[in-house]
Amino acid sequence: MLKKVLFHNQDKIQFRIAIAGAVIGILFLVSSIHYLIRVNQYGKGEEILGPNTMIVQKKVDNSSSLKLSKTDFSQGEVARFKNESFIEDAQAVICNNFYVLLLTDDSHIPKFSSDVFLQTVDVKFLDVSGQKWKWKKGDSHVPVVMPRDFLVMLNTFMSASGIPQISEDLAKEISFKLRISNENKQEFINAKIVGFTNEIPSLLVPESFMKYANEHYSTKEESKITNVMISTKEGEFGKMEQFLKDRGLESRKSQVMIGKLKSIISTLFIVLLIISIVTVLVSGLVLIQYLQLLIVSNKYQIKILLRLGYRPSIIILTFTKYLGATFGKIALCGLMLFFIEKFIVDSFFERGGIILNHSVSLLSIFVVTISFCTFVFVSYLVAKKKILKEFFS
Amino acid sequence: MKINFHSVLPDPFSSITNQTKSIWNSTFELDSTKQNKVLISASSGKGKTTFVNMLVGLRRDYSGEIYINHKNIRSLTIEEWVDIRANKISVIHQDLQLFPNLTAVENIDLKNELTNTLSKIEIEKLLVEVGLIDRKNQQVATMSMGQKQRIAIVRALCQPFEWLVLDEPFSHLDDENTEICFKMIHERCQHLKAGFILTSLDLFKNYQFDVSRKLE
Repeated sequence: MLKKVLFHNQDKIQFRIAIAGAVIGILFLVSSIHYLIRVNQYGKGEEILGPNTMIVQKKVDNSSSLKLSKTDFSQGEVARFKNESFIEDAQAVICNNFYVLLLTDDSHIPKFSSDVFLQTVDVKFLDVSGQKWKWKKGDSHVPVVMPRDFLVMLNTFMSASGIPQISEDLAKEISFKLRISNENKQEFINAKIVGFTNEIPSLLVPESFMKYANEHYSTKEESKITNVMISTKEGEFGKMEQFLKDRGLESRKSQVMIGKLKSIISTLFIVLLIISIVTVLVSGLVLIQYLQLLIVSNKYQIKILLRLGYRPSIIILTFTKYLGATFGKIALCGLMLFFIEKFIVDSFFERGGIILNHSVSLLSIFVVTISFCTFVFVSYLVAKKKILKEFFS
Repeated sequence: MKINFHSVLPDPFSSITNQTKSIWNSTFELDSTKQNKVLISASSGKGKTTFVNMLVGLRRDYSGEIYINHKNIRSLTIEEWVDIRANKISVIHQDLQLFPNLTAVENIDLKNELTNTLSKIEIEKLLVEVGLIDRKNQQVATMSMGQKQRIAIVRALCQPFEWLVLDEPFSHLDDENTEICFKMIHERCQHLKAGFILTSLDLFKNYQFDVSRKLE
């Protein structure tokens, strides 16, 4: 009965426009947050290097081949990289100055050995826990990040030997040995694979291991810095690309391309996110304004109810529930449209070979919940202020 | 329930010099357990509706003090006012204050639902008494003023009260209907051991009041 009294005088046109705006706003809001997260997560786990990390080197041209120009970096150059605003961190990649042989050391797989090339990388550039990426003399094994190409080569060998090929997970269980040596001495050290990379053609080992091995088995005076590992700030890959061009540096094309694409898509989604927030806010404000108009146009009815002895809280709650239910329906409609849109967009991505995580990001649902709660709370405050004003009039 | 007026004068009447029998600017007590039939008569514009509105907390633009059960009504909380309006003082406003888009019975139910004072049968019995049972489902907007007044009277009786305040409730009723309504109000007040305060242009000379005051 209260609804019949309180919602008698309504101009539904403004209400419907605000609802449509809010549904679109919620749809954009959920979509932008969801895809911002999913696009940033894309490729995570497959690559042990951090999402914005790349290894750069100086371009090798004819003059450098003739030793007319240098292809190595000085420590000063590496330090200057760190000063660039878009670079989060830069570190020289140290190479081995000794002989290294990788051998399988597992009774379940045949003997295999190969000369390999080692490089170091600090743990902050890797998606691996610091506990796993450390070594000291006497440790049972040295952690190693293996190039995926190396695993492919290993599997080719397995296949030729009539043994089933091994997956990445299984490879992590296999025992390997590293033989480090110089002309005079050698040492065998157990090794375990902790991850794989597409970006580096050499085996990666902790810096402490490299220092130890270079110290004890070095064949030359000092190793040159030919590679620098750089991690860029989120969404600033465009600047990095220009930086590489200006300095005559190069990186793997795939690294630059993925970073650039992610950067562009993230920026687009951030723009969409801002538009969505503004849309939701404006729609929310229009709905709140509608609530005020509704209360004003039903002022007479509210006055009578209060004079009859109705508690203001009952009337406030009736208006809040009405607007809350409306926003609840808006949120549900927005979410339903999002699921339809997600199905279409994900299929579109899949057709292009991009498999995104299918689950809905919890943050986007959380944001909708927060929007709902905020709206209901503001509606309550507005209704309370307006209705209490009528109590003594 | 005791109502005390202490030198009350609405701000718009501050320039008026009152006679001794007027309730404005004088001190008096209305006790529903002692003087339960009160008539306040005055010509138009003397403050009958103002008096009613002050009594139920709708107007605060006055000097002096009004007490309900020894408590200054200016200090009453919203919760206390809600209790007074729902359980202590029932009012029939001069403009009736019905919901035009609701039917007669819906208007009554809206009040009765607050306290569940009367059963559906009792409400229908009252509607029979005032001769509106056949119009109970008619929208109030389509009723005559006399019919609306009778609906407002029935609605006011659908709550517990200690005082029933009637602001010119019979202005559109003929003598026969006025008599019926008066009788109904009287019976209900007796049943609840409550009093009523009637404001009117008339003096109701053929009816015996315990207190008769004027607004001048």
